[in-house]
Amino acid sequence: MYYYILEPPTSRAVRQTYQKLRDLLTNLGIAGEMVAASPARTPEELTMMGLERGYGTVVAVGGDAFVNNIAQAIIGQAVLGVIPIGEADQISEIIGTNNMRTAAEFLKFRRLSTFNTTIGEPETLIFLDAVITPPKLAKVNLVIDGKLRGYAYFNKLTITRNAEIKIESSHLVEQKKILGLFTSGGTTVKSESLLHGKSIRLVTDPELALMIGRQPIAKTPLQLRFHPNSLKVITKRGSIL
Amino acid sequence: MKGVMETNGPGTTVGVNVSLSGTLKDQNDISVFGMVEGEVISEKSVTIGQTAQVKGPVKGELVTIAGVVRGSITAGEKLELLETGKVFGSINTKNLVIHSGAILVGKTEMPTGEDSEVEPEVDGEGEPTEDASEPADETLTPDEE
Repeated sequence: MYYYILEPPTSRAVRQTYQKLRDLLTNLGIAGEMVAASPARTPEELTMMGLERGYGTVVAVGGDAFVNNIAQAIIGQAVLGVIPIGEADQISEIIGTNNMRTAAEFLKFRRLSTFNTTIGEPETLIFLDAVITPPKLAKVNLVIDGKLRGYAYFNKLTITRNAEIKIESSHLVEQKKILGLFTSGGTTVKSESLLHGKSIRLVTDPELALMIGRQPIAKTPLQLRFHPNSLKVITKRGSIL
Repeated sequence: MKGVMETNGPGTTVGVNVSLSGTLKDQNDISVFGMVEGEVISEKSVTIGQTAQVKGPVKGELVTIAGVVRGSITAGEKLELLETGKVFGSINTKNLVIHSGAILVGKTEMPTGEDSEVEPEVDGEGEPTEDASEPADETLTPDEE
């Protein structure tokens, strides 16, 4: 039997969706214990309760950031199931659907895929892409696998579950000054980088938040470690990714 | 400080706004558009873009240079030096393409695989013959720096 954890509903429509989900799960014969997160009962606390009761599969019902939270709490202890609701583009792509009914059917068939993850020490899990977007061009210092060092300027820095660092920047150069006051023209230089390693340290000045969707999950400085094949997830097709 | 980065990921790209120091090693393709001080090693292709500056040896199967490399280059299969490319160092490859406008300052070694098979002819009675298998040392353009 599955243990379902629901993201706190943000609207009446979501509450109604949850009610439909209960009916759907009952019809599919996979109804289980269903609990809703709230400020008083965090997703992590609810997950620990489920694990203590012996559930081997925890189903996260919600968006990307919520699913990542649940994944962080169960990694190495249980299988993750997902019903994507709300802002759930990333997890929908991973499991193979953004449709509630189809996702519920995947739970019934229980095909497992194994995913890599990246841990932001001490305890931040990066299963879905996490992003740093500073308000203006920022500098990050990197140390990869303890020895390769360097720095980069960026407008957006993405960390993936495969310990890949995608660095994107865009800035104007050769601007012309008019009357010494205003600037115009210039060329936009765009830069994209992809670096990866098993252990990566990122330092920015000032500290910047690492976000999944709209939820901050950590802040710099970050020490990242690659964890291959560390999370089992119910998806459309079972595979090792 | 020299270091090693070795992964099985989708390849490495060093963008314009990135500067690295150490050994950049990847089993897949490497593209450099920024600055790297140290070795650049791939088991597949290495592309040094027009905006790139590499100070250190470059090694790959297919190597394409459009930027500046100060160090030796070893290309197992093919080395292409594009018109904006500048190389200050030795080259070792079986297949070399140099476009008009490129700068190469250093030794070029092109192993043919015949060196070990062909023995120089020795005529005991006449003058020794010229050894044609000797690798060519050439400087194609003067060092402008």
